[in-house]
Amino acid sequence: MSERKERSQFSDRDGFEPYPFQVTPELNEQYLYAVQDYDPRYLEWTDAGSPLVHPGLLLNQSNLTRSPSFGLKAGMAGVHAKEEVEFLNPGRVGKKFRVTWRVVEEYEKRDKLYTVIEALIVDEDGREIMRRRTHGVITKGQK
Amino acid sequence: MRKLTPEAKVGAEFTGKTKTISETRVFAFSGGRFDAPGWPAKNIHTDLEFAKSCGLQTRSVSATQYLGYLTELMIDLFGETWLSHGRMELKFIAIVDVGDRLVSKAMVTLKESEDSKTKFSLEIWCENQRGDKVVVGTAMGCI
Repeated sequence: MSERKERSQFSDRDGFEPYPFQVTPELNEQYLYAVQDYDPRYLEWTDAGSPLVHPGLLLNQSNLTRSPSFGLKAGMAGVHAKEEVEFLNPGRVGKKFRVTWRVVEEYEKRDKLYTVIEALIVDEDGREIMRRRTHGVITKGQK
Repeated sequence: MRKLTPEAKVGAEFTGKTKTISETRVFAFSGGRFDAPGWPAKNIHTDLEFAKSCGLQTRSVSATQYLGYLTELMIDLFGETWLSHGRMELKFIAIVDVGDRLVSKAMVTLKESEDSKTKFSLEIWCENQRGDKVVVGTAMGCI
């Protein structure tokens, strides 16, 4: 794992280290509990294969904060403002996934700097699972 | 939950399940894996002091947690195939606090025939126990 870098903004155009993760049945069930959605499609095998990964898990695991190279100074946090999500293929429990991120836009609104980060989740077979664009802003405490 | 059918008219409304966002469900969603050392991880979603140090008045529930609620409603309406073609665009307009009760809603705004399918545009949102919208946006899908 590379050294975590501290950033004052989301404006690093050098890219962020990709985040690999595997969805075990236990991890999927943790998210089912969190979002109170125990539909059998997330728990049972079908002719199509293993259970589906809950999309809430994929959304959460593709937040930029998951990148091993992402960091913010103490007293700073990233807050979601807008989100665009494209669902491309269902994720399957047991598969390994990889998230990559890139900065696609920066803009100012009401004296705040917003950064648009595109995240792409691809599974171990190379299938694109989800693409999202997150508009985020940094919030800072009084120090 | 009634599904969307090609006969659904513009203006038709659909309501998802009501979710009470307990602290343990926030920990499950935003605190990292259950088996991680020091679980739950401290962040703006799980720890009030951490949130205050970042300039926030309260712990804010992760936006991806209630995006999960909206995806549940979309899958209920369009079926699992929505995970292979669905899209959402959302704005987060209010903080969601631990203990809030959210319900996801959708309204048909446009219906178009496309090949042998019917493409729907929806207005979607979540509202809290006070009836205030916390996230608003649009979704698209085909049946």
